[in-house]
Amino acid sequence: MQKRPAIVAVGRTKFGEHYGKEPEKLIEEAWLAASSECSIERKDLEACYMSDCLLPITNKLGLEEGFLSELTELHVPMEVTRSFSAALLTACHAIQAGVYNTVLVGGIEKMTDRWDKIRDDLMLLDDPWSYYAGATPESNHELMLRAYIKKHHITGANLEELNLALAEISVKNHANAAKNKYAQFQRKITLDQVLSARKSTHKPLGLYDFAPVSDGASALILTSETTAKEMTTQPIYVLGCASATDYLNYPAREDLSRFLAAELSMKSASKTAKITSSNLHLIEVNDQSTVMEMVSLEDLGFCEPGTAWHGIHEGCKHGQNYYEIGSRQLFVNTDGGLKADGNPLGATGGAQIFEIYRQLRGEAGERQVKLESGLPEYGCAVEFEGFGTKAYATILGVKYDE
Amino acid sequence: MSSEPIERRVSYLGDRLKASRCQSCAKEYFEVRDYCTNCGRKSYGKMDSIDLFYDKGTLEICTFINEPTNKFTKLGSYVYGIVSFHDGKIKVPARLTDQLVCDGKDVDLDSLEGREVVPRFRRRYSVGKSDVVPTISLAFTLADEYYPHQEYHVIQPTKDYELPGIVGYGAYSSRFRIKEEGLERAVPFIDEDSVTAAVEAGKLALIHSGLNSAWIGKVYAGSESNPYAVKPIASKVAQVLKLGEEEGDLQGVDAVDTEFACKAGSSMFKDACALVSYPKSGIEYAMVIGADNSQAAPRGCPGGELDAFVGYGGAAFIFGKKDVVAEMEGWYSCTSDTPDFWRRDGEPFPMHGGRFTGDPAYHKHVRKAASKLMERLNLKASDINYFVPHQPNPAFPVRVARELGFKEEQYSPAIQITKFGNTYSGASLVGLAAVLDVAKPNERILLTSYGSGAGSDAYLLRTTSQLLDKRQRQKITVRFQAENPFVEYVDYTTYRRLKLGM
Repeated sequence: MQKRPAIVAVGRTKFGEHYGKEPEKLIEEAWLAASSECSIERKDLEACYMSDCLLPITNKLGLEEGFLSELTELHVPMEVTRSFSAALLTACHAIQAGVYNTVLVGGIEKMTDRWDKIRDDLMLLDDPWSYYAGATPESNHELMLRAYIKKHHITGANLEELNLALAEISVKNHANAAKNKYAQFQRKITLDQVLSARKSTHKPLGLYDFAPVSDGASALILTSETTAKEMTTQPIYVLGCASATDYLNYPAREDLSRFLAAELSMKSASKTAKITSSNLHLIEVNDQSTVMEMVSLEDLGFCEPGTAWHGIHEGCKHGQNYYEIGSRQLFVNTDGGLKADGNPLGATGGAQIFEIYRQLRGEAGERQVKLESGLPEYGCAVEFEGFGTKAYATILGVKYDE
Repeated sequence: MSSEPIERRVSYLGDRLKASRCQSCAKEYFEVRDYCTNCGRKSYGKMDSIDLFYDKGTLEICTFINEPTNKFTKLGSYVYGIVSFHDGKIKVPARLTDQLVCDGKDVDLDSLEGREVVPRFRRRYSVGKSDVVPTISLAFTLADEYYPHQEYHVIQPTKDYELPGIVGYGAYSSRFRIKEEGLERAVPFIDEDSVTAAVEAGKLALIHSGLNSAWIGKVYAGSESNPYAVKPIASKVAQVLKLGEEEGDLQGVDAVDTEFACKAGSSMFKDACALVSYPKSGIEYAMVIGADNSQAAPRGCPGGELDAFVGYGGAAFIFGKKDVVAEMEGWYSCTSDTPDFWRRDGEPFPMHGGRFTGDPAYHKHVRKAASKLMERLNLKASDINYFVPHQPNPAFPVRVARELGFKEEQYSPAIQITKFGNTYSGASLVGLAAVLDVAKPNERILLTSYGSGAGSDAYLLRTTSQLLDKRQRQKITVRFQAENPFVEYVDYTTYRRLKLGM
């Protein structure tokens, strides 16, 4: 049988602007935080999987493995991917194959070092033809919203409710982040702020609908199940981990109102994990925008296409921090999501896993999710690279079915 | 990064909007594909290339952009969205151009979505002064506004003419105008320049002529506002309009830029006629373009007196010996070294000799060329139906026309300076296009161009019955553009901003 990967420790930095810190200082901080949670020493690491999306552009670092080696004084195999989830997926494969027993997975990004050019970089790398035609990192989200509204024939009062639901997503995420000491924006915002930001620019989405540009790092220690049990009483198992891809050019995709890659990666991860969406009450989605959070709920199978906004509004209208999808509660982005926790690309997925890990172990403090049945037993994180060009679904659990 | 090889590749793929269609399942792809993903290996080499350049699309969805990425900031705000072709088989990203939008409240996205749009060849975005100018056709304009969609049909020519002459023509000017003291002048949109005007004029000429672009053996582009000191406009025209037989990614055509102030284009009429007449040239058709984003220093600066007259636009004429709409009956040229108007290399704006530009320059040369040609052909002013002079301002052409004995009805149809401004290399040519738009068969047209520096070319053209046959092929005539209800007027500040470009 394949070995089962488990997370035994997590660590992260605060997200936001770290003007005075070199990128290696950030990853060191995250790694030290993770290693202090369990009795892991540098020499125990057999390999490192690191992710960063833009370091070669933002910090002119071309061979990130080298500076990680220098930092840790390790000469073990190291690989770099673009997103934390991709690093985790690769690490899981290695553990499953029995190649390694203990590995470090880390993610880092330092976007504010290229503050004035980052939007050009993001757009050009996400979707070059759209960039050449004049797209901005925000415009595809707005187009998706319009495509969504058109496809599902949402008009009148329903359209108003949808626009309100999107604003409520942002308000909810900020409220969650207010309880997260690592979050970039640890403050509440009001519905009015979200709506008036849209109104002042006469745009479908406004300032408060989008995730910020952030610096930050995150790390975790992944081991095989046997090793994990020696290290901690409550390992968090990676039950399913999968990815899928979609066209780089957003306009060329068949359905402009959703992310196919998200659906495919989730289906594949659920199959391995033997977990369906009905077992999940805790999810971290890749809310680069409020539209992305809404659409993701549908892509991941929590509700029918064209209906998520209703469940969001039903849940949030009285200020709750969960959505009411069908008759159940869905806790989404309890850390504040990309919107309020921050979005340092390479490290973002690590913060999502960090949150699920804390929630499943009952260590989320003020943010702790409590279901009627007690603590949540499963959680899922979905991360994107680009505008849904790649999607990674990672399902974690405190236990597993054979 | 703007001058890296990728810039040229993106222009190569994007200037003409190349697409592919599978011969067996008809699936379509934006960009060039060698095989179909539906049909796999068996489709290899069986993909048809399809052309979206003369097609029209539908703006499916759009949004308003008020904070563009860095390279687009000079555009300010604009509408961006997704355009579909062929019932959604191809979907491409799209910027709506020729729209001055300052505030999102002026944009009704709902009313834009679903509208038909035409792809336009424009500058892609801003780059540094020493970089290659990137271009693209992922800019679109609304098909029911200033620039309607026109199909391009190739029609096999049938009738041979003894003399070479004009086979097809097109004149292009932008949607924007500045109106001051009875003078309307065309203002380019911020992503337009002399290169895009030359391409537009050439495109309209091809549509009017009905000629296959592959039959054009030579293209001359005359301009004094080429964005480059070294790099031809004509090569871009040849590539975008696919002039000459395609040989891989090369075009089997000779392309050259010419320069002689405002007669850079018109001077080549005789060369084009000679070329298509020479039995061993192997060239049946030659295209001559004159186009300018006429340069002028801002008012109050040295050379700023030109700022009251400069316009934007150009015209293209295709010469050949088949299906001729106007035969070339003769020409005369004169030249002298007269420095009435000049621009030193590296200077952004031309200088001007003030009153010196009148009698010793414009009038002397134009009068000489026109009268000498009439004398040679033994024609009096009354034998000629239309006189088309170069038109740097409203007064000069009228004065010279009267001196030569022409009456108002003979010269006024050609006077377009009051509608488009002085389009420099395009000025006399736009006048000629306006006359051809209204002339009847078997009428004589005397064209007299003028270029500072100085010289003048006089041509005598005689229209044929083909002129009427081809007229319905062109919706975008000179008058259509001059009297277009979708023309938008801008103030002086906006005019300067748009003129200086991206």
